Amino acid sequence: MIFDINAYVGHYPFRSLPARRAAEVVALMDRHGIDRALVSSLPAVFYRDTHRGNEELWSEVQPWADRLVPVATVNPKYAGWERDLATMTGPGKARAVTLLPEHHGYALDDEAGRAALARIAASGMPLLLTQRLEDRRQRHAWDRAEDLAIGPVVAAAKAFPALRFILSNWAGLDGATLTAAGLRGRVLIDFARLQVVYRGEVPKLIAALGVEAVAFGSHLPFDYAGGSLIKLENLDFLPPEDRERVAWRNAEKFLGLGR
Amino acid sequence: MRHQTGLGPSPSRRRFVQASGLLGALALAGRSAPAPAEEGPSPAAAAVRGLPAGWRAMRKVDAHNHVFGLGQRPNSDWAEVERLIAAADKLGIARLYCSRPVTAGVLANIELVRESNNAVLAAMRRYPDRIGGYCFVQPGNGSAALEEIDRCVDAGMIGVKLYNQFKYSDPAVFPVAEKCIARRILFLGHSAFLTDPRALAAQPRTSHALDFGALSRRYPELMLILGHINGGGDWEWTIRALRDFPNVHLDTSGSVLEDDTIGRCVRELGHRRLLFATDSTMEGCVGKVLSADLTPEQREDIFWRNYQRLLDRRTA
Repeated sequence: MIFDINAYVGHYPFRSLPARRAAEVVALMDRHGIDRALVSSLPAVFYRDTHRGNEELWSEVQPWADRLVPVATVNPKYAGWERDLATMTGPGKARAVTLLPEHHGYALDDEAGRAALARIAASGMPLLLTQRLEDRRQRHAWDRAEDLAIGPVVAAAKAFPALRFILSNWAGLDGATLTAAGLRGRVLIDFARLQVVYRGEVPKLIAALGVEAVAFGSHLPFDYAGGSLIKLENLDFLPPEDRERVAWRNAEKFLGLGR
Repeated sequence: MRHQTGLGPSPSRRRFVQASGLLGALALAGRSAPAPAEEGPSPAAAAVRGLPAGWRAMRKVDAHNHVFGLGQRPNSDWAEVERLIAAADKLGIARLYCSRPVTAGVLANIELVRESNNAVLAAMRRYPDRIGGYCFVQPGNGSAALEEIDRCVDAGMIGVKLYNQFKYSDPAVFPVAEKCIARRILFLGHSAFLTDPRALAAQPRTSHALDFGALSRRYPELMLILGHINGGGDWEWTIRALRDFPNVHLDTSGSVLEDDTIGRCVRELGHRRLLFATDSTMEGCVGKVLSADLTPEQREDIFWRNYQRLLDRRTA
């Protein structure tokens, strides 16, 4: 079984994606042998009223409740976000919350960012932070978002020691830095942009943070899933039970979906 | 729906674990290393559903890669190249055609260029069955650059690799193109259509598809390869631009793994112009060819046969 923690539903304004509706995303998952996915809303990134994107996502994934696990998107610069957050969390609802400071015009360490971090930490939900949706070298003229930097993430980890993190679609992560920030045991990292062979980034993260810190991720439907499937197959230096943890058990445990 | 992932240990574990540095990393972290397994062929039990059956055994030739992290001196550190070969083993890549360009916008002098090429030649000698070479030159070095091409081709290299020191539509590049035609070798060029102002400012002379097109129009017999369609930059723009230049091949490498790059190339340019390559993004670039909606014949052509056709033109 494979649980993908880096996936999206919805239209992206700057490129035609191969799957937009939930049914199309599920069909893409089927094609690649992916059983379940943690899905975030692309409209919620770009709507002024982010919560409308959440509502659309809820409606989209409802027929696929056994396959798609929704992420709640919060914009702490928009009126009523605290109430929206409270309605989205809890049993049977979102299993993680995402912040997009680059797209929504704030920083993790400013007043809006700190307020959001405090609320999410209090909720007990993991915080999903995506480094990038796409490579900035091909950006549309209206796409102003920079890659999220690790420094503010480390600062947030230190400031909110109860907060758990899902680091999605990141490259260049250093296990020692994350360990020093106290993230061992409270971070889950997908390997969509990390290498298993050649650069050995995934083995190094496992060595630093433990096998429980790594999970399958593909960045579907932006990216082809094949590379991530190969990475999973190339984790054959791990015992079978550890590969299974990377494939799906870590994701289910971190999201509280235990069976 | 539940899929069988077939999780199981691989026989080549010991070699990979050593190559990736995991043993040392685990030791530093105070954890015991996994026990090495016996050598032998990979068991089918390790296969992950979602990948074509037998994907590792599909022949693959990487048309664009690099050897970094070594010199040509007797005490050179070969670890980086050994990791490259170990990764190629894991991915079923039979042969890698590599260069070592001087990057970061440096107008390299000929001594530095020669040193870079000597490193590639050393890697070719160390792994003659696995590593082939492209000669990096800096066109501003004039006749010395052309002499360097002769030296490298005489030593077994099969092409030149240019970086971003000059746009390929610049007359400074024409003698290099003419040398490639005279020696019947390939011309692989760094490329991107950069839409990000900062990236463009950092690489103002990076060539895009229309620069390749202009060079192709001037030298239709040139075996011209646009490097890394997914190397950063608007790949959709590049595909559209290349439709007008049928003599330009392109390689599939780059750190961007966006679906449906390969399919779009096949539909708009034809699969015969596509050459499999990784440019160091090895798993991702194998994966995108495996994930793309291709016939087995198209996949085989892209993985190695199209490139072999170009190499065969050298001796035809």
